[in-house]
Amino acid sequence: MKTSQPIDAFGRDLSQEVKESVYSSSKAKYDKRIGALNAGYIAPDSLRKLAGQIKQHTLENLPSYLESAIGKLEANGAKVHYAKDGEEANATILGIMNAAGATKLIKSKSMVSEEIHLNAFLENNGCESVESDLGEFIVQLDHDMPSHIVTPIVHKNRQQIATTFEKMGLGDYNDDPTTITRRARTYLRKKYLEAEVGLTGANFVSAESGRIVLVTNEGNARFSICANRIHIVLVGIEKLVPRDKDLALFLNLLARSATGQQLTVYTQFINGPKAPDQIDGPGEMHVVFLDNGRSEILAGEFQSILRCIRCGACLNVCPVYRQTSGHAYRAVYPGPVGAVLSPLLAGKRYPEFADLPKASSLCGACNEVCPVDIPLPELLLRHRNKSKLEHIQKASAGTPPLGGWAVLCSTPSMWKSTLTLGKVMDYVPMKLVPVPAVQAWTQTRTLPPFRGGKFRGWYKEHRKHDSGNNQ
Amino acid sequence: MIPANRIVGKQVQFMITCLCDTFYDHVAQASVELLEQVGCLVDVPDGQTCCGQPAFNAGDWESARKVIRHTLRTFTGDQPIIIPSGSCAHMVFHGYQLVFENGTDAEKEAARTLAGRTWEICDFLVNGLGIQTWHGRFDGKISLHRSCHTRGSNTYSAALQLLRSIDGVEILEFDESEQCCGFGGTFSVAYPNTSAAMGTLKIDKLTAVKPDLIGAVDMACMLHLSGLAEKQKRPFRKMHVVEILLQALRNAPTNPPVIHS
Amino acid sequence: MDQQCFLDNIRAAVARNAKPSPTPLPEWDPAMVTSQLAPDTDSDSASLWETFCQRFRAVNGQTIEGIGPLIALLLNADAKHGYLAPELNGPLAGPLQNAGITLESAIDTTRIDDYAFGITRAAGIIAETGSVVINESSTPSRLGALAPWIHVTLIDANTKVFATLVDAIKDLGDEPYVVFATGPSKTADVEGILIEGVHGPGMQICLRL
Ligand code: SF4
Repeated sequence: MKTSQPIDAFGRDLSQEVKESVYSSSKAKYDKRIGALNAGYIAPDSLRKLAGQIKQHTLENLPSYLESAIGKLEANGAKVHYAKDGEEANATILGIMNAAGATKLIKSKSMVSEEIHLNAFLENNGCESVESDLGEFIVQLDHDMPSHIVTPIVHKNRQQIATTFEKMGLGDYNDDPTTITRRARTYLRKKYLEAEVGLTGANFVSAESGRIVLVTNEGNARFSICANRIHIVLVGIEKLVPRDKDLALFLNLLARSATGQQLTVYTQFINGPKAPDQIDGPGEMHVVFLDNGRSEILAGEFQSILRCIRCGACLNVCPVYRQTSGHAYRAVYPGPVGAVLSPLLAGKRYPEFADLPKASSLCGACNEVCPVDIPLPELLLRHRNKSKLEHIQKASAGTPPLGGWAVLCSTPSMWKSTLTLGKVMDYVPMKLVPVPAVQAWTQTRTLPPFRGGKFRGWYKEHRKHDSGNNQ
Repeated sequence: MIPANRIVGKQVQFMITCLCDTFYDHVAQASVELLEQVGCLVDVPDGQTCCGQPAFNAGDWESARKVIRHTLRTFTGDQPIIIPSGSCAHMVFHGYQLVFENGTDAEKEAARTLAGRTWEICDFLVNGLGIQTWHGRFDGKISLHRSCHTRGSNTYSAALQLLRSIDGVEILEFDESEQCCGFGGTFSVAYPNTSAAMGTLKIDKLTAVKPDLIGAVDMACMLHLSGLAEKQKRPFRKMHVVEILLQALRNAPTNPPVIHS
Repeated sequence: MDQQCFLDNIRAAVARNAKPSPTPLPEWDPAMVTSQLAPDTDSDSASLWETFCQRFRAVNGQTIEGIGPLIALLLNADAKHGYLAPELNGPLAGPLQNAGITLESAIDTTRIDDYAFGITRAAGIIAETGSVVINESSTPSRLGALAPWIHVTLIDANTKVFATLVDAIKDLGDEPYVVFATGPSKTADVEGILIEGVHGPGMQICLRL
């Protein structure tokens, strides 16, 4: 069907295969999440609210929490850096590598590094940057993009992966998932041992202790700070939590929301460079705090999106994501969280992404699953309002104009006469005025018979009858 | 989001909703009759039109404000306002407050007051009037669609509670009950492919358990689902929950009593 | 960018968005965050161990008691050469070597695949989650606890036993590096199929002496 919205078109043209795998994996993760939350708690909803409140409080007091974390990190022996945007962050990381004479970097899964396109930057500057998360590694080999923030290759099947491995010289064609995993294990082991620098993100940073908390199931974040000399943590400023004790709450929620686990396999708490008598592990630790548009978000009506802990639950439950896949959202963060965040992170290029917030029926499922209770539908609505005020064509494409309808709806005499005359058919929402909208409706749906004014007629009679009885 | 201590009482105002005003008059009629059965005096303010949601959801808050101001003027007084739609009730609770975020104090106050009087009809029966079980009989296996905008409100649980208490009613469990019907107002025409795919999936799930009918607390979802189903030549029997409740009373062995809470 | 400018930006942003009613930092009770899977608060050490074993097995960890079963397990897995943390030589080196198993006390990264197993001490265990606590003081070589296919952690009288995740976090202290390992390394990246042993151990064993 013809459509003027790119996400709708992307979903329409998506292969049945990809659609099926996105749909079934989302559904499976949704079910596992519910199972894990209910197995753990009588009232899991109260944990979401609590976590949301803690994060909201943290954002409202971010400067002091950041100062506290910085102080602790420095006292623990880490060097702290500050990057206003991606460019500065990339330059800082390259600077650290250059100063140490390092050219090889192994990277644990980090959405922020995707955000600033670190791999491409380092490669252009003569450094090697290897992804170590299995999914991210495959995406890197394929020059592809992750399509989900937790499970980056839900859009690929084993045959595609096997073909890539064969092409890249990782063995003959073999699409057995175990073989694929073992081959990656062998290949990446060499990379871990060769790398001088390990780069990770951070799931949480405790303001109280400066502790960096990292979770992975595969163990790549452990291996990335094992055999190398230098550990770089790249972290968005919104990752702070006030106290160490809060980590228990967030870890319980994150694992359950993301993958339906009670706890992620490896939870690492990093409090500085390795202990002096430790044989292996980085003796040098750098923490790069990244702003990249976040302070701008902090200042405005979209602030609560910064509570996000990147669990992916809102993607998994979203009916639009399920139909269209992560790549439809054309950015690092897909799904409902991406629809809110991507236009903001785009800065001056906001209009390019102004259609994203339209990719929602506003059903509210995303808010219902969000472990930090972000009012995602409300934020989507705020974007729509903003785009309308700024006359951004990309957002309004396909949406019928409602000015005339508003006049009708605020003029009762007009409303009533159109009801009885049946003219309302040209105005009421579902048959919205301009012809394309009518077509878009009627291609796949019928309209029920028009019965405008019938109820009012009945009610008048009914009241007459009633008052007759009463006399 | 729903204000605490909303106004209760048996002198009520009824909000028809634009969909019942144009297509589903029988649902509005059943609602009024039902309210009268439970002892309410129902007034239907004549000047009412639409709650303003289509424009609000489309992002045209200026147009939405125009319609909302009209609604605020139309529903004067201090009686409870009863709405046969979880979605329009949600609009009053949430949308009305949002669009006046930067408005005058008077506007904010008016929006807050209206929310404090607003009830979706099932919510009103159970949590307003305190009716815990329903009288009468209705024979049927029902797939009850959980209309999305009843999230965070008492509507869905109230509807379930009442339906479950009726002799002869069987509520069916079906897969993916949390998923949306795909309507979403202007979303249905701006994202025609995605919307239709969502709705088709929803119909699959609702009908897979072989219900006698599909029930809803919102005619917007029904408009979409039945429109799709008809086009796909697999129409189903549909009823708003108030129609089921009214029918149950009429099926009662004794004459329908006036239910007092 | 220097710290001052960076923080000033954020301060200005927060100030621009000052809320009429700021969100307070909520206090919470450990009982609220602790799951129903945790042992009762008054559990004795036997039932804590019992719960740990249950939870650890639920995440595909294995628990064994005594050196005999350890030797059987290693031989059964054809793991005849591995890493043993030096401070565990006392209880373990003799019996293992007698069974024909050869040991090294350091990891040579040029022969990383030579180590079929690594045996290190567990700093603690967490009953609620079935996790093993690994830290710098208990584990002199990070690689020894990570690179081999089989990782065995020794639980003895010195191992701390935490009832809940909340308790374990409370005890993090000044340790520069702590890992809670909850089962073998795993992935479901390929078509959602669970595969164990991605980068870390494919077998995670708890040995109680
Ligand atoms: S917005 Fe909420 S649900 Fe979505 S990824 Fe972030 S934390 Fe998870």
